[in-house]
Amino acid sequence: MADLNDASGLLGSFAKPEKLIIDTDPGIDDAMAIFMAFRSPELEVLGLTTVFGNVLVECATHNALLLCEMAGRSDVPVAEGSPEPLKGGTPRVADFVHGSNGLGNVILPSPSMKKVEKSAAEFLVDTVSQYPGEVSILALGPLTNLAHAIKMDSTFASKVKRLVILGGAFFSLGNVNPAAEANIYGDPEAADCVFTCGANIVIIGINITTQVQLTDEDLLEIRESKGKHAQVLCDMCKFYRDWHVKSDGVYGIFLHDPVSFVALVRPDLFTYKSGVVRVETQGISVGHTLMDQGIKKWNSDNPWSGFSPVSVAWTVKVDEVTNYVKELLMKP
Amino acid sequence: MADSRKKTIIDTDPGIDDAMAIFLALQSPELDVLGLTTIFGNVYTTLSTRNALHLLEIAGRTDIPVAEGSHVTITKGTKLRVADFVHGADGLGNQNFPPPNGIPIDQSAAAFLVEQANLYPGEVTVVALGPLTNIALALQLDPGFSKKIGKIIILGGAFFVNGNVNPAAEANIFGDPEAADMVFTSGADVLVVGLNVTHQVVMTEADRDKLGRSDGKFAKYLCKILDIYFSYHRYAYETKGVYLHDPATVVAAVDPSLFTYTEGVVRVQTTGISRGLTILYNNKKRFGEVSEWCDKPTVKVAVTVDAPAVLKLVMDRLIDS
Repeated sequence: MADLNDASGLLGSFAKPEKLIIDTDPGIDDAMAIFMAFRSPELEVLGLTTVFGNVLVECATHNALLLCEMAGRSDVPVAEGSPEPLKGGTPRVADFVHGSNGLGNVILPSPSMKKVEKSAAEFLVDTVSQYPGEVSILALGPLTNLAHAIKMDSTFASKVKRLVILGGAFFSLGNVNPAAEANIYGDPEAADCVFTCGANIVIIGINITTQVQLTDEDLLEIRESKGKHAQVLCDMCKFYRDWHVKSDGVYGIFLHDPVSFVALVRPDLFTYKSGVVRVETQGISVGHTLMDQGIKKWNSDNPWSGFSPVSVAWTVKVDEVTNYVKELLMKP
Repeated sequence: MADSRKKTIIDTDPGIDDAMAIFLALQSPELDVLGLTTIFGNVYTTLSTRNALHLLEIAGRTDIPVAEGSHVTITKGTKLRVADFVHGADGLGNQNFPPPNGIPIDQSAAAFLVEQANLYPGEVTVVALGPLTNIALALQLDPGFSKKIGKIIILGGAFFVNGNVNPAAEANIFGDPEAADMVFTSGADVLVVGLNVTHQVVMTEADRDKLGRSDGKFAKYLCKILDIYFSYHRYAYETKGVYLHDPATVVAAVDPSLFTYTEGVVRVQTTGISRGLTILYNNKKRFGEVSEWCDKPTVKVAVTVDAPAVLKLVMDRLIDS
């Protein structure tokens, strides 16, 4: 716990907590990341915005409200986001990964708190405008709400402090199909809009997140800990873990959302490469994320020319990130 | 005594590194070059044919037939990208070589490929150094071609690295993505050598000077035409060496043991901003849903290369000419 205590002690002495909005589609690993955020004194969670992805948006909102209540944070507003991608149509939902209720089919009570009136995009625009340059956003699902916010307010991109995005597969296989990662595949047009919007963006792809796993032993250790949400998270993880055995032969779970959360609070545990990232929106590799690494001087313009570069996570200190996640989940 | 040499057809768009690859093939006792077929790419097809004939005359191998290939893509596309800024307007380093005396045979590249595959079923290796239009046309011409051709060794694609036409696409695949996708999913015995491998095989200025100082006929010729290729690499990659894409691919035919391979389904993106992108699925991960990679024939894809050994083989054979 040394790192956490040091960090909070240090920040507490002279720094205000960092303002954060989590855009999320809970989701088992989303639940982990959300609980972790609530346990982090260096953060002030201004709200959750919901999106389709692991589940439909109504279910995501239901789960977001529930998670806030479970964390004793009924004060945190939840704004419901888009039910469908930019181009319309029924969203693809990963219920075979997260269970039909998004939380590993663990039966939980209904939340008593209600979502706010505003849409997710309105909430994002209003909050970021209220604190220009101060609000970071952790985006854990398809990027539809952020794209709507960018389209709604042309100054949104420049007013966001930092946008930390879980999405894409850089120079590696996707997880929906060989070409695409699930969050980007969920709304490729939105992702391309966000990646090229000029904001201060850090992208954590599954080339990074799949390196960080909780093994069956880790999960047992967490279950037996006094962690505030350890029991319920481990119950949820059963379903998630069984999917990993089937799809990847991994006896444990990937920590996609928690790793992205760690990239937000401990950026020093990663290295990054800077370059323009575009998303393919057509054809068999729709949803593919492609970064220009800047190795070559192109002799003519191409679809990557002229856009602002973003930071793409390139390496990760696996043990330190794993420990950070475990310690936070085992915090009483 | 049976001829143990591999019967080889080189499908090519010469091209400076094509010239090196063709000379290397002619200098390789492991290969029996049955013919050259030409394609657009580094230059337009007409010029490719002229250069192929010229290179065979330089080599004193006018016995080898040249069959001219397609002037348009498999979808009849005429807006071709040619890389004259890499290889010079003449494709051979702007050396003002006289026109060749020979002429191509009276058979298309595709027809020649089909004929040779039928003549020697299972025995012919195609080394494809340009866009894959001719091979795709051969597949269309003869539905049995994929089974009758021995092996197709392809220079093309960029696996888990950026392309060289743009961040997504490698030049040969970009030249005719639809043809490439047809060839990769044809069920033929295909080996793909991509930029991820050829970018490791680098000829330095010192190597070039060594070619120039040698008595090798091919070495001396190549040293002259390489200037513009070095200039382009200095500008585009800020490097003092050049990538030996085509020669490395010929080496994969000469001595496959200098590479390691993985096997999987390769598909080519044919639309959008990443047109020409090659995506390999090596079957290691299982997906929840059916994808465009499911139930397609696999190909071999080069993963690592013993670059010093490849360079040495190329240098030695060019110097000893």
